[in-house]
Amino acid sequence: MQMPEPDASVIARREAILTSLRKIVPAASVVDSEEGRRAYDADGLSAYRQLPLVVVLPETVQQVSDIMRYCHREGIKVVPRGSGTSLSGGALPLADAVLLAMGKFNRILDIDYANRCVVAQPGVTNLAITHAVEDEGFYYAPDPSSQIACSVGGNVAENSGGVHCLKYGLTTNNLLGVEMVTMEGEVVRLGGKHLDAGDYDLLGIMTGSEGLLGVITEVSLRILQKPATRRALLVGFDETATAAQAVGDIIAAGIIPAGMEMMDHLAINAAEDFVHAGYPRDAAALLIIELDGPEVEVDALIGRVDAIVNQAGASSIKISMTEEERMRFWAGRKAAFPAVGRISPDYLCMDGTIPRRALPDMMVRMATLSQKYGLRVANVFHAGDGNLHPLILFDANEPGELQRAEDFGADILRACVEMGGVLTGEHGVGVEKRDLMPIQFSEDDLKQQQRLKCAFDANHLLNPGKVFPQLHRCAELGRLHVHQGKMPFPDLPRF
Amino acid sequence: MTKPSLRPETLAEILPIMAEAMATQQPLAIVGANTKSAIGYAVADATLVQLDRWTGVLDYQPEELVLTARAGTPMAEINDLLETNHQMLAFEPPDPRPLFGGDHQGTLGGVLASNASGPRRLTAGAARDFLLGFEAASGRGERFRAGGKVVKNVTGYDLSKLMVGSFGTLALMDEVTLKTLPRPETAISLTFPAADFSAAQNMISAIFATPYEASAAAILPSDMAAKAGLSGDMQVVIRLEGFAVSVADRAEHLLKAFDQGEKRDETESRRLWQDIRDTHLLADEDADIWKISCAPSSGAEVIASLMAEMTAADKSCPYYADWAGGLIWMAAPQYTSAGGNFGDMMREVVAQHGGGFAMRVRTADTNQGLNPHVVPPFQPLDAGRLALHQRIKAAFDPIGILNPGRMHQGI
Ligand SMILES: Cc1cc2nc3c(=O)[nH]c(=O)nc-3n(C[C@H](O)[C@H](O)[C@H](O)COP(=O)(O)OP(=O)(O)OC[C@H]3O[C@@H](n4cnc5c(N)ncnc54)[C@H](O)[C@@H]3O)c2cc1C
Repeated sequence: MQMPEPDASVIARREAILTSLRKIVPAASVVDSEEGRRAYDADGLSAYRQLPLVVVLPETVQQVSDIMRYCHREGIKVVPRGSGTSLSGGALPLADAVLLAMGKFNRILDIDYANRCVVAQPGVTNLAITHAVEDEGFYYAPDPSSQIACSVGGNVAENSGGVHCLKYGLTTNNLLGVEMVTMEGEVVRLGGKHLDAGDYDLLGIMTGSEGLLGVITEVSLRILQKPATRRALLVGFDETATAAQAVGDIIAAGIIPAGMEMMDHLAINAAEDFVHAGYPRDAAALLIIELDGPEVEVDALIGRVDAIVNQAGASSIKISMTEEERMRFWAGRKAAFPAVGRISPDYLCMDGTIPRRALPDMMVRMATLSQKYGLRVANVFHAGDGNLHPLILFDANEPGELQRAEDFGADILRACVEMGGVLTGEHGVGVEKRDLMPIQFSEDDLKQQQRLKCAFDANHLLNPGKVFPQLHRCAELGRLHVHQGKMPFPDLPRF
Repeated sequence: MTKPSLRPETLAEILPIMAEAMATQQPLAIVGANTKSAIGYAVADATLVQLDRWTGVLDYQPEELVLTARAGTPMAEINDLLETNHQMLAFEPPDPRPLFGGDHQGTLGGVLASNASGPRRLTAGAARDFLLGFEAASGRGERFRAGGKVVKNVTGYDLSKLMVGSFGTLALMDEVTLKTLPRPETAISLTFPAADFSAAQNMISAIFATPYEASAAAILPSDMAAKAGLSGDMQVVIRLEGFAVSVADRAEHLLKAFDQGEKRDETESRRLWQDIRDTHLLADEDADIWKISCAPSSGAEVIASLMAEMTAADKSCPYYADWAGGLIWMAAPQYTSAGGNFGDMMREVVAQHGGGFAMRVRTADTNQGLNPHVVPPFQPLDAGRLALHQRIKAAFDPIGILNPGRMHQGI
C-alpha cells in the first residue's frame, strides 16, 4: 500500500506545530509522546499501522475550527478519527498529518421526542443513542455490529449499516442534520430537524465521505418507536442456492423482513463451537429471518415465511417463541467475527455487494478462489441486500500469507463488480479498497468525484491517500477542453 | 425568451450540443417533459433541451428491488409497470398535473431533479433516498457514472444525493437506477377532529410514540378538510398501510386510544392522500404556492407566528400541513396588504422556529423572471453553504451551461 510521500518540511516543523496546537487546545490535549501516539496508530484494519505526527483531542467546535484554520494556513494535513473501528483504514494516520481525534465530543445535546430526533456530538457511540431513548420506547435503527464502540460521527463518515438496514436504511436514511467544519475552518450547518435540503443535498454528500470533505462536529439523528414485537426464524438449507432462492421468494411475496442474514457452513460451525446457539451443523447455509411490528402482523408473517422457506426446500426450521430464543438465534451471527477469530490466527473481513440472484455463482467462485489461494473463507452475508462479508482466514506470521489473503480478497471484490455489484456495501473504501476503485469506476468517473473533493478541500489536506488511487491536483482536474472557440474567462479558477 | 428546442435521443447526441454551448457560452434550459418549469427562475436566453425522448425501462428485477430506466421515461409508464408487479416508488412522487396543469405526469428524471416526494416521505424517505446510481453528462460535456445498481453501496461519494434536487444545474442524468419496494397490501386512513393546529400536532406526536406505525400524517384546517370531503373541524389524517391483518389491528388500537376517530376505507383514503400529495387542495388558488419545510413540532408555531404578522386582510391565506406538520403548503399573495412580501416573512418565521426553508413552487405572477426585486423562489443560502454551492456548481458545470440561475444566481 503506497501512501502519499510524507512532506519532510512539515515533519521538520513538528516542534513549532506542537507549540501552535497547544495555544488552541489545553496542553494535555496534544498527544506528543510516542507511547501516547501509539494508541492511535491504526483503526480496525490493523494490518496497516503508522504513527501520526501528533494527536489532538479538541473538545469545542471553536477549537476544531481553529485547528483546521491553522492547518489550512500552514499546509498541514489532517486525518479525522472517531472510535477507530473502521475496517477499511479510513482513520489510518499519516506521518505528516495531525490526527484529529473526536473522542471528547461525547455528549448528547438534545433529545426531542416530539420531532423524534436526537442531537449528539460526533464522539457519542452508536449504542448510546438507543440507550438514551429506550426508556421512552424509542431506538436508533442503524446498528453496525461495532455499535458499542463506533462513534456516530464515524457512522456518518462511513454511512454505516447494520443487520436491520434492509428495512430501516443506512445511516444516510436516518440522518437529519450535521454541523461540520471545513478544511478552511468554516463552520457549516446542514439540515436540522426539518426534512430535505431545498438546495444541493450537501448532507447526503457528507454522509459516506470518509472524512475527506469536512469534520463532523454535531449530528441530528432520527429515532423510531420500537416495534411492539420481534420474532425470528432460523432456517437451514442443504444448498446455498436454495437459501438464496428462498430470500428472493420472501421479497417477491412483498415481505421486507427487519433483517435477513445468511451464514455458510464454515461460519455456522465456528459460531456453534463458540456460543452453542443451536445452529444446524450439517447445513450448507443458514438464514436468520427477523420480522418486527405489531404482534398480529409478526405472527401472520412468520406463518407466511415459514410456508415460503418450506416450499423452497428448507432442511430445518425453528421459530422463536420467546425473546430469549430470538436472542439465541442471533447470538451466533453476532459472534461470527470473534468465532472465526478462534479458528484462525488472523482474518480479513471483505465487504462487497452483489445482486442477490448472483449469490449461487458467487459461492462457486469463492470456493474456486479458496482452492487457488490455499486459504479458507467463512461467509456471513446481509442476504436481504446482497451485502457479502467473506472472512478470509490466514496467519500473518506465515511469510506471504497476508499478501495472499489480500489478493484473494481483491479477486472476490473483482467478482462482485463483474456480477453487477460494487466494491463496498458498508465498510468504505479507505486505503483497503482504494487501489481497486478503477475496477468499478472509469478514469472520468473518478475525476468527477475528485472535482467534488476539490470544492471542499482544494489542496487535498483532509485525509489524503484514502478512497482515490491517484491524487490529481485540483487545477489539473479543473482544466477544460473546449472544442471550438476559446475558453471564456481563462483566468477564473475552475474545479 | 427561449430559442428553438432540441430533443436529443441519446446521451451521445447531446455531447456536441454541450460542446457548442460551452464554446459559445450559450446556456441550455434542460427539462424533461417540462411539467415543473414553474419551480425556480426561468433560465434566461437559453436553448431549450427536452429530454423526454430518453425513454425506456432498461432493467427491472422486482425481487432485487431495483429498477433501471432512462431518465426521460414517463412516470405514467414507471407507475404502471410497478403496479403490475405489486411494487412502488416508496417516496410517493406527486402527480404534477393538478398543480401545474397539462396532461403529462412528468418524467422520472424530472421527479429526481426536483426531489419530488409525497406523504410517505415522513416515514419512508424522499426521492433522494431511492436513487442508487446513475449515468450522466456533466456540464463539462463528459460522461460519468456514480453509485451502483444494488441496494447497498458506499463506494465513492454518494453523488446520487447531489443529483437529486439539483434541478438540472449540475449534470444531465440519462440512465438512473432506483430502489423499489413492495406495494402495501392495503391502506386505510383514520381522521380525528382537532381543536387547533397545535392540538393536532400533539396528537400526531402521541400517535408516533405508539407502535402502531402510521405511514403518513397530515393536518387539514376546516376549509381544506371540507375541500377534501371531510366535514367539521380541523382534521388530523393518519394513514395506515401494510398487511391487512396488521392494518385492521392498528386501526382498532388507535381508534380506542384517541377520541372521535373515523375510519376511511381504501378508496376514500387513496383519494384523500392524492389530494394531499398533489397539492390539489390549493391548486385553484389564485396566489403563489409555497412549500415550507420545518421541524414537525414547529409547524404550529410557524403558522401562529405567520398569522400574527399578517393583517386581518391577509389572514385568509389557505394552508394545510403534511409530514406530521413538518411540511406546510400555503397559498399566499406575493405582497401582504401592508406592502411587505410573504416569502421574506415566511423565511424569517421559519428561521426563528428551529430552521428549515420555504420554497415557492408556483407563482401567480408569470412575469417574475429574473427580476431581482422579487422574492427568490429558493431559500437564499447562508455564506458557508453558498460558497460550497458555487464551488460544486463550478466542479460540474464550470462555464454555467446547465440551467444557470434556475435555483440561485449563477446556480
Ligand atoms: C467488529 C466490527 C464490526 C463492524 N460491523 C459493522 C457493521 O455491521 N456495519 C458497518 O457498516 N460497519 C461495521 N464496522 C465498521 C465500523 O465500525 C464503522 O465503519 C464505523 O462507522 C466507524 O466508526 P468509528 O467511530 O470507529 O470511525 P473511525 O474508524 O474512527 O473512522 C472512520 C472514518 O470516518 C472518519 N471520521 C470519523 N469521525 C469523523 C468526524 N467526526 N468527522 C469526519 N470524519 C470522521 C475517519 O476519518 C475515517 O475515514 C465494524 C467494525 C468492527 C471492528
